[in-house]
Amino acid sequence: MLFGSGRFCQPNRFKHTQLIDLQHITVSYPGRSAAVKDLSLRIDKGELLAIVGESGSGKTSTLKVINRLIEPASGSVLIDGIDSTSLDQVELRRSIGYVFQEIGLFPHLTIEENIGLVPTLLNWPRERIKARVNELLGLVGLNESDIGERYPAQLSGGQQQRVGLARALAARPNLLLMDEPLGALDPLTRETLQTELVSIHLQLGLTTVMVTHDIVEAVLMADRIGVMRDGVLLSVGSASELLNQVEDDYVRSLMSKPKEQADRIEDILGKAGKDRN
Amino acid sequence: MGGAAFNEQLSLLPNYLAHHLLLTIVALGLGIVFCLPLAIVVTRVKKLQWPVLTVASVLQTIPGIALLALMVPLLSTIGFLPALAALFLYSLLPILRNTVTGILGIDSSLRQAAIGLGMTDRQLLTRVELPLALPVVVAGIRTSAVWVVGTATLSTPVGATSLGNYIFSGLQTQNMAAVLIGCIAAALLAIVLDQFIRMIEKAVSSRKRGRSIVISSAMLLLVLVGISPLFAGNDNSTQSKIVIGSKPFTEQYILAELIAEELEQAGYSTDIRPSMGSTILYDAIKMSEVDVYVDYSGTLWANIMKRDDIIPRDRMLDTLAAWLAENDSITCLGALGFENTYALACRQSLAESLGLKSIDDLAKVSGHLKIGSDYEFFSRPEWAALVAAYNLHFAEQLTFDPTLMYAAIRENKVDVISAYSTDGRIVDYNLAVLADPRQALPPYDAVLLLSRRAAANSRLKDALGKLVGAISDEAMREANKVVDVDGGSVKKAAQRLRDELPGNK
Repeated sequence: MLFGSGRFCQPNRFKHTQLIDLQHITVSYPGRSAAVKDLSLRIDKGELLAIVGESGSGKTSTLKVINRLIEPASGSVLIDGIDSTSLDQVELRRSIGYVFQEIGLFPHLTIEENIGLVPTLLNWPRERIKARVNELLGLVGLNESDIGERYPAQLSGGQQQRVGLARALAARPNLLLMDEPLGALDPLTRETLQTELVSIHLQLGLTTVMVTHDIVEAVLMADRIGVMRDGVLLSVGSASELLNQVEDDYVRSLMSKPKEQADRIEDILGKAGKDRN
Repeated sequence: MGGAAFNEQLSLLPNYLAHHLLLTIVALGLGIVFCLPLAIVVTRVKKLQWPVLTVASVLQTIPGIALLALMVPLLSTIGFLPALAALFLYSLLPILRNTVTGILGIDSSLRQAAIGLGMTDRQLLTRVELPLALPVVVAGIRTSAVWVVGTATLSTPVGATSLGNYIFSGLQTQNMAAVLIGCIAAALLAIVLDQFIRMIEKAVSSRKRGRSIVISSAMLLLVLVGISPLFAGNDNSTQSKIVIGSKPFTEQYILAELIAEELEQAGYSTDIRPSMGSTILYDAIKMSEVDVYVDYSGTLWANIMKRDDIIPRDRMLDTLAAWLAENDSITCLGALGFENTYALACRQSLAESLGLKSIDDLAKVSGHLKIGSDYEFFSRPEWAALVAAYNLHFAEQLTFDPTLMYAAIRENKVDVISAYSTDGRIVDYNLAVLADPRQALPPYDAVLLLSRRAAANSRLKDALGKLVGAISDEAMREANKVVDVDGGSVKKAAQRLRDELPGNK
């Protein structure tokens, strides 16, 4: 009920106010060819957009450009119509939730302190932070009573990822950036979290940009998918749009992968079922 | 080693330990205060990393004793300051390197996360980098603390009191109790400091504020108790003390004690700086940092005046006194009367049976004899001069530690040794000193030197004038024997020498 192909049938649910507008973004690192080449992309308020691509395709760089962890060599980023370079860098980052690929929980801080980090930086009163942390622990499904006082090393990978999400959401951002948020998890935890991420995205009315290399994950979770290769954004659209209306061979073969895999799995399981009979 | 002698050594501990602790704590404190900000700057300005760490490494490769000695001419003073400066420089590398490594070693994804969540550079440093680097930084401080405690024992030769006073004088006078007390005290101090720093780190990183404060206070209290002897009984500090220097060997310790007793009787308060380096001592008297000490004419002649000719004894003394006064404003009050030179000695029985009285006699039979010496004699100009003047050819030349050299001649392992003419063991081991009629060996008259400050004080000059010409070779040898052979204290030997003074008989 929380996600599913059904959502792709009702794109007009969103107000379609553009929140982020990336205009002709080029990112280059010294001594290498450009990581992102002339990328333009509009992200609408309330949508969950997945950027898919192989490693080195420029998807993470694109994500980092949004909260100015990387400054583009050329092009501009408009946030609610305002050029992001005119905003205070630190304040901009505090207003955007970010879930890191490596999770990046601070090992010397407790779970509570990790989650309450951005509110602390924003000088929220202590009680308000405490209340917010408890609320978030519930939201991300960490209900063990003493978990707030534990340290990251005492948690499982899945729990750590939940804490990473709670930390990103702590200061009530409208925009959530997630870099391979489920990369290192086992399949069961991964699936549960996929469901929960979409649920939280909807519940909080967030605008979410998620980077993933897993096309199945993108299809299952996202409203729209952007496909990147060698720094170029090949196309953007809903899964069915990409599958049916795009000419690019790479995009089409990528988009057909989930179906092919599902068919093969069905074959194998069907055969196994027959064998058993 | 009797209990009384041990207790006498132990009574020196509070004072030595206090000086040692003060030096260590101040040097380490300055090291931390200087290194932490520098290391942080280095982690942010990558270009500085190589030059800063290289300079610190080079400082570390200078042997501790050389670095200490270098500080004396650089700062134009002796004692606490040059020792502090050298120990400070010595403390830098571990703190600097560990802080830089600790900060740069933090997982880059954490740094990225901190920035991505909206930390300022300052917040990144104080909330993430420093807390995470803390164990590595503290490991550097602990290494540094142990090094500084150890190296501080070498500050004795630059005139700073430390636990090294035990070790330097103990080794020279074969007082193993003193050496042991010095080593054990230094080791315990290092362990205690190290453990305190470790406990503070543990309390801080487990964020137990109460415990951190308790442990830090306990450490502070202990340090204050440790250095308290420095502030006790210093009421007469208004009257400046007469500083007496000594080189690191028995005879010098005895003479310094003798001079101190004479001056105290004349109403002065004194401060003995034992075991100082030879050239440091000369520089110190030149700067009036040391007021009085005993040197040897031959040493000054060769090392300070850079002369390699040998002239008769009295002319050498006159030339020397004039040169010192003119060039360095040092007053040579006069010769004490005895000479401490290299001398060839053999067993009395051998001298009698072969009829050996002089080195001329020895030269005739040297082809059948073995000679033993200390580490340096065979490479010194005196040995070359002897060989040339008397045409000596020994059957065998053996090198020993000085103590073992005497044992070797007593046990007939060698026939002749290069003894020190005032060594008490010459008497004890029944050795005959052979005359040097060709004067191949330069004279080493003990001379009493006064700084410009001390020489301006005529009452002080009168008090010390009593010692000029008053100590014979024989008397000095007997006094040295009290310490080196009989295991008596330096005080006892000085007392004995004092009893023999012409005015006191």
